Amino acid sequence: MKRMILLIAVMFLFSLVITGSSFSEDTVTFGIPLPLTGSKAKFGEIEKRSYEIAMEEINAAGGIKGKKVVLVFEDSQGKPEVSRAIVEKLIDVKKQPVIFGEYSSSCSKAIAAVAEERKVPYLVVTGAADNITQQNYKYVFRMNPSVSYYTSGLRSFLKEVVKPKTIAILYESSDFGTKGAEGMVKDAKRLGMKVVLKEKYESGAVDFKPILSKVKSKRPDVIYMVSYVMDAALLMRQIKELRIDAKLFAGGAAGFAIPEFIENAKDASEYVVTATLWSPQVTYPGAKEFAEKYKSRHGKYPSYHGAEAYSALYVIKDVLERAKTWTPEDIRKAMKETNLMTAFGPIKFEDREGYQNQNFMDTLVLQVINGKHETIWPLEYATKKYVYPIPRWRDRR
Amino acid sequence: MDAVQVEVLLQTLIAGILLGGLYALIGIGMTLIMGVMKIINLAHGELMMVAMYLAYWLFVLFNIDPYLSVFIAAPLMFFFGMAIQKYLINPVLKVESILPENQVILTVGIGMVLANLATILFTSDYRSVPVEYASDAWYLSDFWRDSPVELSLSVPWSISFLFAVVITVALWFFLTRTDTGKSIRATAQDMDAAVLMGVNVERMRLITFGLGAALVGAAGCLFIPIYYLYPALGGRFTLIAFVITILGGLGSTVGAIIGGLILGIFESLTATYVGMGWAPVGRFAIFIAALIFLPGGVASILRRQRLGK
Repeated sequence: MKRMILLIAVMFLFSLVITGSSFSEDTVTFGIPLPLTGSKAKFGEIEKRSYEIAMEEINAAGGIKGKKVVLVFEDSQGKPEVSRAIVEKLIDVKKQPVIFGEYSSSCSKAIAAVAEERKVPYLVVTGAADNITQQNYKYVFRMNPSVSYYTSGLRSFLKEVVKPKTIAILYESSDFGTKGAEGMVKDAKRLGMKVVLKEKYESGAVDFKPILSKVKSKRPDVIYMVSYVMDAALLMRQIKELRIDAKLFAGGAAGFAIPEFIENAKDASEYVVTATLWSPQVTYPGAKEFAEKYKSRHGKYPSYHGAEAYSALYVIKDVLERAKTWTPEDIRKAMKETNLMTAFGPIKFEDREGYQNQNFMDTLVLQVINGKHETIWPLEYATKKYVYPIPRWRDRR
Repeated sequence: MDAVQVEVLLQTLIAGILLGGLYALIGIGMTLIMGVMKIINLAHGELMMVAMYLAYWLFVLFNIDPYLSVFIAAPLMFFFGMAIQKYLINPVLKVESILPENQVILTVGIGMVLANLATILFTSDYRSVPVEYASDAWYLSDFWRDSPVELSLSVPWSISFLFAVVITVALWFFLTRTDTGKSIRATAQDMDAAVLMGVNVERMRLITFGLGAALVGAAGCLFIPIYYLYPALGGRFTLIAFVITILGGLGSTVGAIIGGLILGIFESLTATYVGMGWAPVGRFAIFIAALIFLPGGVASILRRQRLGK
């Protein structure tokens, strides 16, 4: 026991010795809170790898104002109280003038409160809960769209191309599915669509045909589904089996936007559209290069979380290069004036619709064309022309 | 009722019957073990998961169709089940313990070990076997041009259902016509009497557990073309098998078949007319209803009928 106490005391002393300003003569050090262990570790890992790729690129190009970037990843275990403690340390002890990182909404929210209190700008990278940027915080900026805007692209696609009158919504009975379905009900009202059916299901169900035959009898123009990947694939396979001919099959990101969906649903996935924040094929400058670099290193394409993290470091670089001095106040001013094109998309922080310092970007719409996800909306970023109207099941080969 | 409603009802019933047939096959395995051993095998779903991984790897490595792997996976599962009985359950049966049902607890443990082993070996990723015919179907309008309603019958679901029927019929013949089958039934009916009649009860137990594992293994292979697999999938099917076993009457094979069909049709009807989110609620409502109003399950009705004659 004594040895234990001694050890802790020594560690304390040691930590006091090595603390001090994070910005020295020729390096600039950022502490980044991320969930590196625990249930969200998978996303923490994707983001960590992406930050590292951005760091190497920036350093190879001469760093930020000639200073080399050093990243220190701090494990928050996905727990808000831990990430809060990490950020308090970064601000109070390391005197880091700008904070960025974290994965989940709950952790981002905890950090945002600390940052606002200490008057240090915080860039939210992936936390998507609406209220993070709705609390009149001055020092909190968010580069990713909030969850209500995840489907903004799909919404405009429906409005301008499909012009549907009725919609059926199927969603899994989780928090994620319920929120997504609620969002779509609101959208439907705005677009003047009638919701003819809104049904939840238990994720992992074997047979969707009963509920799908009910959907079929209502003849909706659009079938909108919020599902994880295996449910998504089963749903589309059974829709094909029942030959349900809606004008459009749409997915709300998640399961529909990843390659495994096509692998599992096969030809039933053809022409299905889905909302997504980002895809490795998108035409934003640097996006493809980043995706390929990530794939060659780690064997798999990154999810949009990776692109967000990768671009976040570029945003920080841009802000620091424009800031007059590297004090929190000047950095905040520079951040507010950001207008940058990144691999994740255009970044600009605006105050509107009840949000503060929120980046409003058009999210993408993907469509499966010839067994591949193609970006079809917004038109200026499209990799292929959308296929609409889609052929009826009977006429498909 | 207009044509559209009739179409929905018929399509729902088709789905329910197909699902029920597969459920029955899962349930029979558990009910057999229940009848002979008097224990609920709570590793049942995990055994199915093991068979599904077998079928999956047979497909990926040797390109063997999941329906063919029924003939490979089921025998392998038979021996696997016998091994579990011989080396894990039998030793526990012999030990005096505080809890009378510690074999049941043992099966929970076996299930956990299997599920976690699968997670370590194969990761927790979802996998599926991308067979060509996965979403093929027959349509009524292709055969009968002016049919007022359009019905579809999925190809893989129908094949799986037919397999389940054939396996069930074969099992029935085995249990009623062969010596071993009769010995198994004798053990299930009255173990002491069976021992006195010279039935090797220990051996019957081995065979029964093997048979139960083989049946659920076959069910696993039949589920592969229509479903997907992941290591934690066992629990959900153990529950389904458990509900069917109770519904059918503990230990009754015919009861399990009827119980499976009832559950399948009931779930489909709930999904269509109440809401799919309610399917799990319906499953347990029927479970509790069976316990309260029909403690002996479907088997007790069958028995009453027979005595009445």
